[in-house]
Amino acid sequence: MKEELRREFQAATDSLTAKAIEGVSALVDVTLPGRRAPRGHLHPITQIAEEICTIFSTLGFRVVEGPEVELDYYNFEALNMPKDHPARDIQDTFYISDNVVLRTHTSPMQIRVMEKQLPPVSVVAPGKVYRPDSDISHTPMFHQVEGLLVDKGVSFGDLKGTLTTFAHQMFGRDTKLRFRPGFFPFTEPSAEVDIQCVICKGDGCRTCSYTGWLEILGSGMVDPEVFKVVGYDLESISGFAFGIGVERIAMLKFGLDDIRVFFENDIRFLRQF
Amino acid sequence: MRVSLNWLKEFVDIDQTPAEVAELLTMAGLEVEGLEHKAQNLNDIRVARILDIKPHPRADRLSICHLDAGKKEVSVVCGATNISKEHIVPLALPGTSLPDGTLIKEGRIRGEISHGMLLAEDEMGLTDDHTGIMILSNELRPGQSLSDAMDLEDWILDVALTPNRIDCASVVGIAREIGAFTNKKIRMPEIHIEEGNTPIEDLASVTVLDSHGCPRYAAGLVDQAKIGYSPFWMRYRLHVSGIRAINNVVDITNYVLMELGQPLHAFDYHRLADGRIVVKRAENGQTFTTLDGQTRDLDDQTLMICDGQREVAIAGIMGGLNSEITLNSVTVLVESAYFDPIMISRSSKRLSLSTEASYRFERGIDIQGADFALKRSLMLIAQLAGGNIAKGIIDCYPEPWSPARIRLRADRANEILGTTIDIKQMADHLSSLNMAVRAVDQNRIEVCPPPFRVDITREADLIEEVARLIGYNNIPVTLPAIRPTEEDYTEFVLRDRIKAMMVGMGFSEIITYCFISPRSADILGAGEKSHLRSFVRLLNPLSQDQSVMRTSLIPGLLSTVRLNSLRDQDDIRVFEWGKVYIKGDGELPQERQVLAALITGLGSRQEWYQEPREADFFDIKGVAENILEELGIDKTEYNRNRPKEGFDPNEYARIFYSGSEIGAIGKVSKDVLKGYGVEKNAHILELYIEPLLSSVVWVKKFTPLAKYPSVRRDISIIVNSSIESAMILSIVKEMGNDLVESVDIFDAYQGKQIAHQEKALAVRISYRSDKRTLTDDEVNNIHEGIIEEIHRQTRGRLREGRKNGHPG
Repeated sequence: MKEELRREFQAATDSLTAKAIEGVSALVDVTLPGRRAPRGHLHPITQIAEEICTIFSTLGFRVVEGPEVELDYYNFEALNMPKDHPARDIQDTFYISDNVVLRTHTSPMQIRVMEKQLPPVSVVAPGKVYRPDSDISHTPMFHQVEGLLVDKGVSFGDLKGTLTTFAHQMFGRDTKLRFRPGFFPFTEPSAEVDIQCVICKGDGCRTCSYTGWLEILGSGMVDPEVFKVVGYDLESISGFAFGIGVERIAMLKFGLDDIRVFFENDIRFLRQF
Repeated sequence: MRVSLNWLKEFVDIDQTPAEVAELLTMAGLEVEGLEHKAQNLNDIRVARILDIKPHPRADRLSICHLDAGKKEVSVVCGATNISKEHIVPLALPGTSLPDGTLIKEGRIRGEISHGMLLAEDEMGLTDDHTGIMILSNELRPGQSLSDAMDLEDWILDVALTPNRIDCASVVGIAREIGAFTNKKIRMPEIHIEEGNTPIEDLASVTVLDSHGCPRYAAGLVDQAKIGYSPFWMRYRLHVSGIRAINNVVDITNYVLMELGQPLHAFDYHRLADGRIVVKRAENGQTFTTLDGQTRDLDDQTLMICDGQREVAIAGIMGGLNSEITLNSVTVLVESAYFDPIMISRSSKRLSLSTEASYRFERGIDIQGADFALKRSLMLIAQLAGGNIAKGIIDCYPEPWSPARIRLRADRANEILGTTIDIKQMADHLSSLNMAVRAVDQNRIEVCPPPFRVDITREADLIEEVARLIGYNNIPVTLPAIRPTEEDYTEFVLRDRIKAMMVGMGFSEIITYCFISPRSADILGAGEKSHLRSFVRLLNPLSQDQSVMRTSLIPGLLSTVRLNSLRDQDDIRVFEWGKVYIKGDGELPQERQVLAALITGLGSRQEWYQEPREADFFDIKGVAENILEELGIDKTEYNRNRPKEGFDPNEYARIFYSGSEIGAIGKVSKDVLKGYGVEKNAHILELYIEPLLSSVVWVKKFTPLAKYPSVRRDISIIVNSSIESAMILSIVKEMGNDLVESVDIFDAYQGKQIAHQEKALAVRISYRSDKRTLTDDEVNNIHEGIIEEIHRQTRGRLREGRKNGHPG
């Protein structure tokens, strides 16, 4: 009797199990990780440079690139920095020969572009630049995006509007900006652009040296000397130019305080972006 | 430049708080990078009078001072020797913190109780003087707070000057700027001089032989001066300006330099042969010992100050040891000159010697201010060192300065700025900057900038000054018209597509320094004529390891692998998109864009659903194939005709497309791995972007989809291991008329089950026509033909009947 019941129970169980297997699949541990194809990451500098170029592309700026090993003429002379000009001292330079340098900024692209075309000109030129400096806030190679707009009636107000749009798209609509006088030999008037500190929102902290402001780029109205060099008619046109440090923007956006990690290429660093 | 707020207040009234002054200057273009509160914690330090000094009973070098500290009398143990009874001194009572954080406590020193500490100037952060206890004025009352009694509280502004604003490299210069922005008048320092009877011409003479290098040279003379220590106020101001105090006369020249921006030099008159000053060029090969004791090599481009016989100073840069002021000097000749900026700049660079003087001369000082600064220094010398000022000054200034006249058009200014500023307002702003303004007509003014504004030479400069005074933030914001971009720059499109694919295949992008070690060419095994050796060399590299521009991206990839493996990260897929720089005949090198990718460690990781697998050649080849397919580049050839530098000779291929080399894949050779300290095998892909660009199919064309069924047939064959699979594939395609739709190698085997020098390949062919359904006979016919041809060309053994799996 007992044996019979056991057998019957077993049969019933088997049939139920069989039905269960037939009708529904076995229980799957859905918390096991999925079969993933490996995933790569674009370098954070690439991501920020692309973001900058995209913002300016939508404002009608064409992207161009140029040489990094550059003639002294394009890097300095044509930008109103003849030899012995004290402004050359601000930028220490890697020399290849008397006439050839590693470009210290992307500004030579202003000349290269204007030599090839007449106004209107509206370009951004991203790329690598070099200065012999190495510490927590300097690397001997870094990236800039140069911008240039030349046309009839381009004003300092337009410069402010364009760079305000840029800063709003990059750092958020409510980012406060200020423009203050600066000096670049190839712009006049020249303006440094600060945004309200992204860390302390203007209250003052270590990042902004307790000023509440962070310098994000240099800019200005193209100096007449530069137009002379490329043979533009000084009286009928005007323009503005700007240079943005990509690492600077990336450090602010991602919250980094040591620029050198960008070029170490530690996989754990790259995977975070 | 560091400048004291109290010093500034001597020349301009300042109602603003220190923070407001800093903000004002920053927004005027003189960025204040730091603001330091001086003497803020000196409030607790008291003025005390020494009532009595007794030697310490148990220490020879110590004494016990009994002091009147106002409300009470205290005893302090002190080691200084410059103090005596009745001296007024600063006293820190127990509980006082010093600027460096030291907390003063009551304590016993060798058994004697000390109720505090007497202080030297450096201990209070006032100067760097530690020669003894600071001796205060007898007029101070014991018990007073030192900081109140001496008005010590101050703020130091650290101003970052742009190279164009050398006129602001002085206290008066910054005061002028504050005055212009706050509508305040400037008070110039006093120059009240009581001259003696002896005319300077009877004592000294100045001859300028190079008037281009030295357009102005003024000199004055003080006799019977007593060289000594400068008063505290002067040493304090020099200290906060970052200048070391030396003696009263030298300190005065530095003080006036900081005050007015005019570099001065004081000579010991009695060490000047014949009392003469001659300004002329040095001769090639000459040497000269400067004040700092260094011997300098001169050349004929260096402007020198000489006496009747020899050189006594390098003009505008540094004086000489042979004529410096010492404690024995009695008569002082002070130089106040203007030297040619370019000459000074070149000499300073050539000598690698930059001084406060050369910094100012090379940017251009106020040529009109030389005599004023000279008189200011003579007055201070007479005041602080005593002595008699000779009658008159010598002033060689053959071509006096005349102001530039610059026209400013109001409409042009408004057009550039995007403003509607009234011409009158422009004129007012420029006047506030000491410019002489004259109306020309309704739209134009003529402006003469003052002599110290050497940066203002053109209309554009005036427009900037107007903008500065209006305030950049008051200029309205507008947006320029948007100009549609007309060109699509194909390299960027290609770059973005390739980068996206690389990321999709699990590769992370790296950016490495473009300068590498010249040893890289040797490590890569480059031949003598290899382009890998055509380095662009840096004349002034940061280190030997970063002294040439890269000719290959491989060093950067391998260095990255090494860095990561040192951090226990061995399974790596990375790529870099960057330039290599190949020196050619031209002045500028060729900059070639390259994509380089590397895979090392595991190709598949161990997971719950898969076994781990080391990455190999076919992982990297798959990457190449994927990218080339995406770009529409088919019919590529993987070619091993020539060895490839850096790659294993048995495991590499150059990639060709219609005759041009577009890339390479392969295993990194053992030597190269060793050269970069990498232990695990690595496989690399290089794609050369320039030839690739001309091969890309930018617009893909549609092929109609086949309507008729396909027929599949397999071939399994054992061939000599030197036979490449590509050969079999090309036979299939060639023999298959147009009926072979696809052909795939689905198995490849080498191993124990077949002979050592053999390999087995299994090929699956799919036949299809786009015009009709193929019959079995038709397919068999072609298939047989293919098999025969393969057999003929490879001499392989066919393994018919086996359609799948390994042979054997």
